[in-house]
Amino acid sequence: MTAPLPALRFNHLADLARKSSARFANQTAFTTCMPNGMHGSLSYAEVDRLSDAFAGYLRETLGLAAGARIALQTPNCLAYPVVAFGVFKAGCVLVNTNPLYTPSEMEHQLRDSGAEVLVIVDMFANKLEGILGNTKVRKVVVAEVTQFFGVVPRAVIRAVMKLWNRVLPAVVVPHVRLAQALAEGETALQVKPGALASYVQGQGLEALAALQYTGGTTGVSKGAMLTHGNLLSNLEQAYAMGASHIEEGREYVLTALPLYHIFAFQFNLLCFYAAGARNVLVPSPRPVQNLQRAFDNYPITWVSGVNTLFNALLNEEWFTAFPPKHLKAAVAGGAALQGVVAERWQRITGTVIAEGYGLTEASPVVCFNPISGVRKPDSIGVAVAGTEIRLADDAGKPVAQGQPGELLVRGPQVMQGYWQRPDETAQALRDGWLHTGDVAVVDSEGYYRIVDRKKDMILVSGFNVYPNEVEDVIARMDEVLEVAVVGVPDAQSGEAVRAFIVPQGAGCDEAAVRAHCRKYLTDYKVPKSVKLRTEMPKTPIGKILRKALREEAR
Amino acid sequence: MLTDLETKLLGVMMMLIMLGMGASLTFKDFRIAFRKPQGILVGLACQYGLMPFLGYLLAVLLGLSPPLAVGLILMGCMPGGTTSNIFTYFSKGVLALSIMMTICSTLVAVAMVPVLLEFYSGLRQLPSEYKVPAENVAQILVVLVVPTLIGMVLRKWNPNVGATVELLGGVLGVVVILFLILTWVPRNHRLLATTPADVYAAAIGIGLFGMLLGYWLARLLRQDPRRSRTISLETGIQNGPLGVLIVVLTFSGEMQQQVLLIPVLYSLFIVLTSSAVTIWFRAITTREDLARDQAKVQMAPA
Repeated sequence: MTAPLPALRFNHLADLARKSSARFANQTAFTTCMPNGMHGSLSYAEVDRLSDAFAGYLRETLGLAAGARIALQTPNCLAYPVVAFGVFKAGCVLVNTNPLYTPSEMEHQLRDSGAEVLVIVDMFANKLEGILGNTKVRKVVVAEVTQFFGVVPRAVIRAVMKLWNRVLPAVVVPHVRLAQALAEGETALQVKPGALASYVQGQGLEALAALQYTGGTTGVSKGAMLTHGNLLSNLEQAYAMGASHIEEGREYVLTALPLYHIFAFQFNLLCFYAAGARNVLVPSPRPVQNLQRAFDNYPITWVSGVNTLFNALLNEEWFTAFPPKHLKAAVAGGAALQGVVAERWQRITGTVIAEGYGLTEASPVVCFNPISGVRKPDSIGVAVAGTEIRLADDAGKPVAQGQPGELLVRGPQVMQGYWQRPDETAQALRDGWLHTGDVAVVDSEGYYRIVDRKKDMILVSGFNVYPNEVEDVIARMDEVLEVAVVGVPDAQSGEAVRAFIVPQGAGCDEAAVRAHCRKYLTDYKVPKSVKLRTEMPKTPIGKILRKALREEAR
Repeated sequence: MLTDLETKLLGVMMMLIMLGMGASLTFKDFRIAFRKPQGILVGLACQYGLMPFLGYLLAVLLGLSPPLAVGLILMGCMPGGTTSNIFTYFSKGVLALSIMMTICSTLVAVAMVPVLLEFYSGLRQLPSEYKVPAENVAQILVVLVVPTLIGMVLRKWNPNVGATVELLGGVLGVVVILFLILTWVPRNHRLLATTPADVYAAAIGIGLFGMLLGYWLARLLRQDPRRSRTISLETGIQNGPLGVLIVVLTFSGEMQQQVLLIPVLYSLFIVLTSSAVTIWFRAITTREDLARDQAKVQMAPA
């Protein structure tokens, strides 16, 4: 068992928003930094005032009840925290939605969550036509990437987006602009003093705060039910891991990962709002040159990212020649951090990069390498405070020390279940243990290492093959840019190992790959077939989707 | 040719454009450019080694008459033009390097240009008493450096103002380039109709071959592709107006008219060729950026 869970500082997420806003009132809370350096900011006091107004809009103007689901579908921008905190202050439930979703994915998520209001960025609002009628959404609120910018920068950026990039289609569905909604909410609250406090009166930690959708391993996307207690517990758990490097009210955190994803939502938004940091929001980190102005113009002290982001930064001369001077630490999650990337990051920036492990169902942090303390390369670290971890075999029995087993988690951050899916919930949560589907090993000091996804394990004639191991070997070839290994049905061996490769340069073919693998791997692990392709299917934060590759192979 | 008023107007436009270019730069960009100072030396080698020789070679190969040869060699010996910075900006090259190269080549022009002109004219036994107006060279530097610095300061002071100025400078740059392209045919059709083919070949060829050879010389001297493209544009794009001025100050009468032909034609065509090359370079840079974004991490030396 790890350290006990620190006392929670906040009663619910609205309480977090209010307390931090009061404490750091005059400081800048959020700055959106566009690729050309144009920016707009909100102070803590402004975030407080505007999110109050949005809460008023939801409860008074629209007359929603507590617990109503509000979908939020924007890239990182100033509208995001205003709406998210407004939802919490209204006692409603936030449904984070990926703006890059296709109309059918949007329809699924909106229907499944039963969202009554959708806040969507104008760039993607044209996708609503045709699906809106199939959902319960009764109000569409349109936000902008340049929300709350000054008049001139807003006009300039919107002109460029409209005329040059052509990414501002006309919004044809009935809608209200966010600015208008906020004005209406503010007016409604003025005639009803005391209403704001009543929305969250008596709201406990067990109240539902967010439906966080995840594909998980079973095809269809489902909403993990995260309560205020789940998210706030995890905030303290994550905070404890980095507290030694956080000076409240002094930090600049770079938010390049999307806030609609649980990693940035917890780490960048919640943790650093509690810490009084200035959050520098980048709407799109691809290509990575989009981050240059943020690093130029702000003394960034903290960065969160995934392997691909750190890797991309390390390939930029402007970053490596003059690495950020004020940087204190970086945290990596989402996908395995490669050893070379971690090593090079630490050498070039002179700061720690700590890898953690988490999943949507655990709000998300489960394990972390402590920022100050022993960090082990290739390890996801130790269990965070107040969290129990067990490694179990297929029968649910604990495995012997040093043996791989499925990682099970129990703790205050573990979700309540999947929204309206009792069967899937029963599978994932058994006796309070969240079955992560990840296979891990633990060393004698309690440091875990992920071996692979259980579902991705390949059974070749009765032998277990972990795709990660094969991928690591293939990735060492210079001719290989990206690789993913999956199992495909095979008449002889039940399943067979297949490698998908995005080559760089010439000289990458099946024979070369297999010859290379035979040098490092036993026979049954060597890919039986190798398929070259030009790109990999990936999740929004850049994880390769093995599932999609497996389906392709069928 | 442009009228006096138009020339003045163009000068003001250039300053505004350079203000915008400056606003796209940080002091860090210059420090990055200076991290590999060889780039500037390679650029100088292209500018004053390659280009004059190319001018001489073309003059010999095409068997140009003495006045035309003088004009061509003169263009070869010119420092880099300010427009190279605009084209570098649009081609997503290393703007800081381009500006440093323009400044350096212009600085040494006062000493370098007469020496080179004497040398190559001497080889072809051409008249050789050139006046290189130091005050005009100084003026070029002021027009280049001052707005750039102001732009950079603006950007540092307020990124919103900086980005707006950059955008306006960029738009103005496109407008000026389009204006030059669209008006030069109607303006000069008589000149164009009477000019023989070999003169065309010389006026267009020196810019085009300059870019081509400049790129490969830079690659040979181990500059990375993006720097090499920057050096390529810088090498091919000469300071045409300065060339015209030197001719006017040095020669007179019928001789002046004849010597002027190639510098004038060059100035017209270089806008066209650079525009085409810029579009091409820009596509290459964009592709490289995206590839780098996804590249594997390499254990490169620190």
